[in-house]
Amino acid sequence: MINRLATRQGGLTAALALLVVALVAGLYLYEPRVDDGRVSLPLPGVTAAPEPVRPAGPEQLSDPDGVSRFASVQAPVVAFREPVRGSKVTGKLGRLTPEGTDNIVLALEQVERDGQDWVRVRLPVLPNNSTGWVPREALGFYNEIETRLVVSKQDLQATLYRGGKKIWSAPVGIGLDKWPTPRGEYYVRNKLEKYSSPMYGPIAFGTSARSAVLTDWPAGGFVGIHGTDRPDLLPGKVSHGCIRLRNEDILALAELMSPGTPLSIV
Amino acid sequence: MTNKLTLLDVDRDGAIEETFARINRETDRSGFLKRAGILAGGIMGGGAVLGALARPAGAATATDVAIANFALTLEYLEAEFYTQAEASGALSGKLATFVQVVGEHERVHVDALKKMLGSAAVAKPTFDFKGTTDEEGAFSETAQLLEDTGVAAYAGQAPRVETDAILNAALAIHTVEARHASWIRHINGNPPAPEAFDKAMSMDAILTAVQGTGFITSKPSMTGSGDPSFTG
Repeated sequence: MINRLATRQGGLTAALALLVVALVAGLYLYEPRVDDGRVSLPLPGVTAAPEPVRPAGPEQLSDPDGVSRFASVQAPVVAFREPVRGSKVTGKLGRLTPEGTDNIVLALEQVERDGQDWVRVRLPVLPNNSTGWVPREALGFYNEIETRLVVSKQDLQATLYRGGKKIWSAPVGIGLDKWPTPRGEYYVRNKLEKYSSPMYGPIAFGTSARSAVLTDWPAGGFVGIHGTDRPDLLPGKVSHGCIRLRNEDILALAELMSPGTPLSIV
Repeated sequence: MTNKLTLLDVDRDGAIEETFARINRETDRSGFLKRAGILAGGIMGGGAVLGALARPAGAATATDVAIANFALTLEYLEAEFYTQAEASGALSGKLATFVQVVGEHERVHVDALKKMLGSAAVAKPTFDFKGTTDEEGAFSETAQLLEDTGVAAYAGQAPRVETDAILNAALAIHTVEARHASWIRHINGNPPAPEAFDKAMSMDAILTAVQGTGFITSKPSMTGSGDPSFTG
């Protein structure tokens, strides 16, 4: 029946399609502003609904003392220094991490340029602390997270905050002076468990931080946060750059912290 | 029943979930070149709906592939919603007719877009419609939200489309979505065409709105069991 109706109404459909094309062409000519569900047409005599005001500058997506947002990478994408295609490339993002989990990035701020939404994300690349702009559509939904992990190299202490309030703390091992744990702003990007290697303890978190020295390490020398089979060495400067915790501490941390959590190494 | 309800109003307390879509694909040039070939072949071999409308893409852009995948994800959402509603057996009368006809349309849209995109097509997310497919009132209200949103989404993306074949396909679907919206609005007792100019919605606004429904339950997989390769 649908086909018969379609045939009978073919002429009308074609006419309507032409009308739509004309309207779309009109939208091009009048350069509508599409913004959060509203479009304004500067046509004479047409009064459009009031538009919500969108901030001209970047919209902050992550607050170290409040809510941060992260999203998965939907497909390989290039990150630019500016929210403009063709500006300098600051990194490339794949869909998966070296461990085969979905690759996530911390979303820092968002801005619109010429109708395109761009997101500045923290990049898991060297040099550490790199960020770059990627098209919004290269990322999935934003996930919100309220935790933040701070590792003090001076105090050899890791502290977890939620909503700005301290909720957990434990002593840590960090890198030896020749393989230093890199200071900077990062994020936790995955969690590994049930693996065979005892040296990482029962749980290992991957981070976006990378050793600036051990660049030829498998997968590129990413810094992890994990347990240990040598708790007697903690706290201290004992690792190749990873952040080691006693196994009971990493288990407690895993109850409180999820991937996506911002990480500050100070 | 209100005709002012938006997706943003639905279940804001539902799980904020990831992976609404494998909405978008590569935006780098090398990826685009590979996909352009896939897309052209896909359109040539596409189903009757798009086959009659589309021309070989030839030079589809990465943006167009992203938009087509965005549309595909919306169609996945609508098709699954109607399929589940029809299967529930809870609808009768006008709503039963509506769900049969519109459900078939949405499934055809999914098939056509998948064929057009070929291997560049995003995967189907998983859904939890939170009981809105099992009760007539909730169904009709949600159907109106989805159809109104679909119309706004296509309107928002049409000006961004760079390839004629994609634009033709989008327009062919867009007008049908508008008919669906009018139909369900009429059933619901709301004005089928409430305004002289429809409001377009940006991709980000659509994402935010659909995310807010909690209908899409796919999450990023961030836990693994392989041996760590960290520096130790």
